[in-house]
Amino acid sequence: MRLKIYHRTVYEYANAVINNNNEVRLSPKLTPYQQVETNFISVLPATRLTRYTDLNFNRVHHFNIPQPHQQLTIDSRCTVKTKRPFEIDSLPYGYAHIEVKKCSQHDSCHTYLQDSSFVEKTPHIWREALDIQADSTDVFQTCYALMDFIYSDFTYASGATQVTTHASEVIKGRIGVCQDFAHAMTAYCRSLGIPARYVSGYFFDSTLDQKLRGSEASHAWVEVYLGQHGWVGLDPTNRKVVDENYVVLAYGRDYRDVAPVIGTYFGRSGSQLTIHVKVESLETNTAGVS
Amino acid sequence: MFSHTSRKTFPHYKCLHEHYANYNVASLSNKQRLIENTFLEEGITFTVYGDNQGTERIFPFDLIPRIIPQKEWQLIEEGLTQRLIALNLFLHDIYHEGQIIKDQVIPESVVKTAAHYRPEMQGVKVSRDIYIQICGTDLIRDDAGNYLCLEDNARCPSGVSYLLENREAMKRAFPNLYSQYRVKPVDNYPDLLLKTLQHLSPRQGHGPVCVLLTPGAYNSAYFEHTFLARKMGIEIVEGRDLIVLDAYVYMRTTKGLEQVDVIYRRLDDDFLDPLCFREDSMLGVSGLMEAYMKGNVALANAVGTGVADDKVIYAYVPEIIKYYLDQEPILQNVPTYLAWREKDRSYILSHLDSLVVKSANESGGYGMLMGPCATKKELQNFAKKIENEPRNFIAQPVISLSRHPTICEDLSIEGRHVDLRPFVLYGDSIEIISGGLTRVALNKDSLIVNSSQGGGSKDTWVLND
Amino acid sequence: MLSRVANSLYWLSRYLERAENLARLVEVNRYESLDSTDPNPWLPLLYTTCTEKIFRESKEQDVGMFISFSEDNPDSIRECVAHARENARMVRDQISEEIWRDLNRFHLFIRSEDAVELWQNQPETFHRRTIEFCMLLSGLIHATVLHDEGWHFMQIGKLIERADKTTRVLDMLAYYQGIAPRAKLASALKSCSAFNAFQAEYRSRISLDNAMSFLLFSASFPRSVRFCIQQLDYHLHAVSGSPIGSYTNEAERITGSTLAQLNFSSSSNILQVGYHDYIDSLQKQFNEIGQQVFDTYILLPLEIRSNTNSETRRRQNDHQRQQQQ
Repeated sequence: MRLKIYHRTVYEYANAVINNNNEVRLSPKLTPYQQVETNFISVLPATRLTRYTDLNFNRVHHFNIPQPHQQLTIDSRCTVKTKRPFEIDSLPYGYAHIEVKKCSQHDSCHTYLQDSSFVEKTPHIWREALDIQADSTDVFQTCYALMDFIYSDFTYASGATQVTTHASEVIKGRIGVCQDFAHAMTAYCRSLGIPARYVSGYFFDSTLDQKLRGSEASHAWVEVYLGQHGWVGLDPTNRKVVDENYVVLAYGRDYRDVAPVIGTYFGRSGSQLTIHVKVESLETNTAGVS
Repeated sequence: MFSHTSRKTFPHYKCLHEHYANYNVASLSNKQRLIENTFLEEGITFTVYGDNQGTERIFPFDLIPRIIPQKEWQLIEEGLTQRLIALNLFLHDIYHEGQIIKDQVIPESVVKTAAHYRPEMQGVKVSRDIYIQICGTDLIRDDAGNYLCLEDNARCPSGVSYLLENREAMKRAFPNLYSQYRVKPVDNYPDLLLKTLQHLSPRQGHGPVCVLLTPGAYNSAYFEHTFLARKMGIEIVEGRDLIVLDAYVYMRTTKGLEQVDVIYRRLDDDFLDPLCFREDSMLGVSGLMEAYMKGNVALANAVGTGVADDKVIYAYVPEIIKYYLDQEPILQNVPTYLAWREKDRSYILSHLDSLVVKSANESGGYGMLMGPCATKKELQNFAKKIENEPRNFIAQPVISLSRHPTICEDLSIEGRHVDLRPFVLYGDSIEIISGGLTRVALNKDSLIVNSSQGGGSKDTWVLND
Repeated sequence: MLSRVANSLYWLSRYLERAENLARLVEVNRYESLDSTDPNPWLPLLYTTCTEKIFRESKEQDVGMFISFSEDNPDSIRECVAHARENARMVRDQISEEIWRDLNRFHLFIRSEDAVELWQNQPETFHRRTIEFCMLLSGLIHATVLHDEGWHFMQIGKLIERADKTTRVLDMLAYYQGIAPRAKLASALKSCSAFNAFQAEYRSRISLDNAMSFLLFSASFPRSVRFCIQQLDYHLHAVSGSPIGSYTNEAERITGSTLAQLNFSSSSNILQVGYHDYIDSLQKQFNEIGQQVFDTYILLPLEIRSNTNSETRRRQNDHQRQQQQ
């Protein structure tokens, strides 16, 4: 599937601010399942843009606006070609809980088992996760059950949580948005020893009735490590195994590692944030594919 | 159509080749005459400048379409999008803080001496922060088959009506061939253009009133103006139809005055407002700039975009892209020597007979020198001009434009040089019409494809996969 | 609708009407002059079209060439068609493709050498073709565009021109000082395509009085002055939206009063005033109507439409270049 994404982030400041220093993670990643055709990040007021790769191998752009300004606009435009990692009849079963213990020493997994800023393992979370796992011995089956649990038992609502809400609060309150659902799932998985990372990206709702969540904003979900199958994406907000409708921007331990825009400025006032995301399919015939 | 190395037909031309083999030359030229007659009768014409008679001519049309496979087109789209984003950031920057100048990527003097730089626009907020809404970049292909960008027409690019009419003509003349190829349609252009214009409207909660401002019926592109206005369903107005009261723009109608929100102006900056620019302009609207700068009316394109058309600025576009986007240009420039750089100038002067010299601010093929075809005297004259006004000249190596089979006057089919002008719209999103105006130099070995200097055009087919 | 557009539509159809009337006039005159002993059979024609003076100043020797093709004559058939097309070109987006195409064909024809050749060898065919082109366009205007404001302006232009031309033909009769020979009367009627219609009403009672009554007062002949003014009155009201019998601007007022005068006059009234003076006063009224239409809708009082701004403002009219008349 070819997807075209337009993502606009606008910060308005009541009083002019200076030295606005920002890091932006809005470039889609290159993965076996997605190929980035174009990606343009543009910033107003116009200024020099530089880029580097962070510890999680995400592509980061950086800029600084020294002169006074009252508005900052960051536009990201990309076209991405995606493909479905797994067909429905060949889901990544077959990785057993006993094996998962071995991977904890891997460089690539170790980080994603530890506590992080928004996600910590608590006995309470561990006990809940064990209940959900029940007698499953297959990691994918367990993860699916965790996802299913969050999807069914948590209420999807904005306003109840903030951008800084911790996983343990989410699990306690049973309410939140995609970011919270992803944090909760990460916490459950890690407490069972399954490496799990937080993913930010976009999601195209290809259903006719457009009832899926998260397609009008930047979206978040989880990737879990499944041995020979590699990292597999699961979206607890929509109870879906990640397919060709998803575009990965960045992954990390939690939201802090992948925030689309993060920065500092000097100024007396706070900022008003507006975000606009549009994900379109460039296929000639997409209706009804889900 | 033919590969440069093997002289074999490119696979995407195979079907065309077979199809045309069924016609004899006479029947092809017959079809061509029919089409040209239709164009004349329907008044699809342009007026030639510098001709007292105001002669109307049709834009000669060639029956052999140019075909661009999807892969190749995608690259063009990506490159054009990148260029347009970067140029818009550049314009915003130079009319505000000038970071790119402070960071010494481009010398201030180059920007401020560009003929179309508008100091009036310094610090002005343009609607939606978009400067170039409509761009018609000229592309050529070099020996290796790479597309190169020749110039960005960021002021009032014209030609899109011929593109649409050529397509109509081809669909009528070769319906079977056309449907065999799965060609991407182009007829959504007027809709996209209208959306782009409406996006700019400064007035909230009111259906935007958009108009097309034309210099009038004697302008060479007048046909195009009426064509677009009609397809979009908006009024086509002349300067005298508009009036500014208390910094709002109105048009005079039989029912009184009606407020105008967006003006798609096909009039150069110079002529927009006699109070601000040329006093002798009879085409403009007094007070328009005041209304514009107060944000009460939007203009497409914005005032001052001509800086991006300056050929010296052009030479900096790769650096502009690198600066604002931290990316390599997808479409390369033609190598360009700047006469105001001493090193470049001595190179230009010593290689004048092998270079194309262009004046920095002229378009339409005027004010240029084709080194290899020039007489000694012309070379000397130009050398003197360059020495007198180095800022005003650039030079480029002669790129042998790619050639495309074309029906010639003697009815033979021969290769003629072509270029390509795709049209890009920058509104809520960036849209590129799938195709473009392929212009062809009808005279043998000529490299000049401008309609005003003996060029013709072809339909351009972009294929679905 | 843009004022300039209304103006162009008005002149587009007015020039077409002018070309048609000219062609008919010339043809009738030409045919008649075959039998004439008059050394200057074309003179009344120059007089009728008010072009004597221009002709004398022109390089053109041949009156026929002058009337049909000369560039010196702003009202030659060729120039009329060029003006009509020029106006159409400025409002191409407002008229149908068919009108544009056929008007363009007409223009290309009348400019061609073929047209001059045809005029020299088979003048009748040339004139008939010209008339046919005009009729075709008139039909297309009727059948292919919305009958909305723009169309009403086209009708207004056509009707003013037609009424004016009919009075000019009547004036040509005045040239004979009331003793017009029968043949002249017949040709005057023919110049207005009125001969058959006249006969249907008056049989063979052809007299100056009857011809004049018919061309001025007939309630059902489409080229009579009264008929034209009645139609004009209708179209003016259609544009302004005010009910017939009232007026909201000068154009409507003068038209209404002229119509009333025509409705209740007879040829005996005319003889009291004097034939020439009567025609003259009518022509002055037509000019005034044309001027008032221009002032009202084209030159424009600067009132801002209420849907965009409730406050209605009036400003001094600023000068506006007027289009070729």
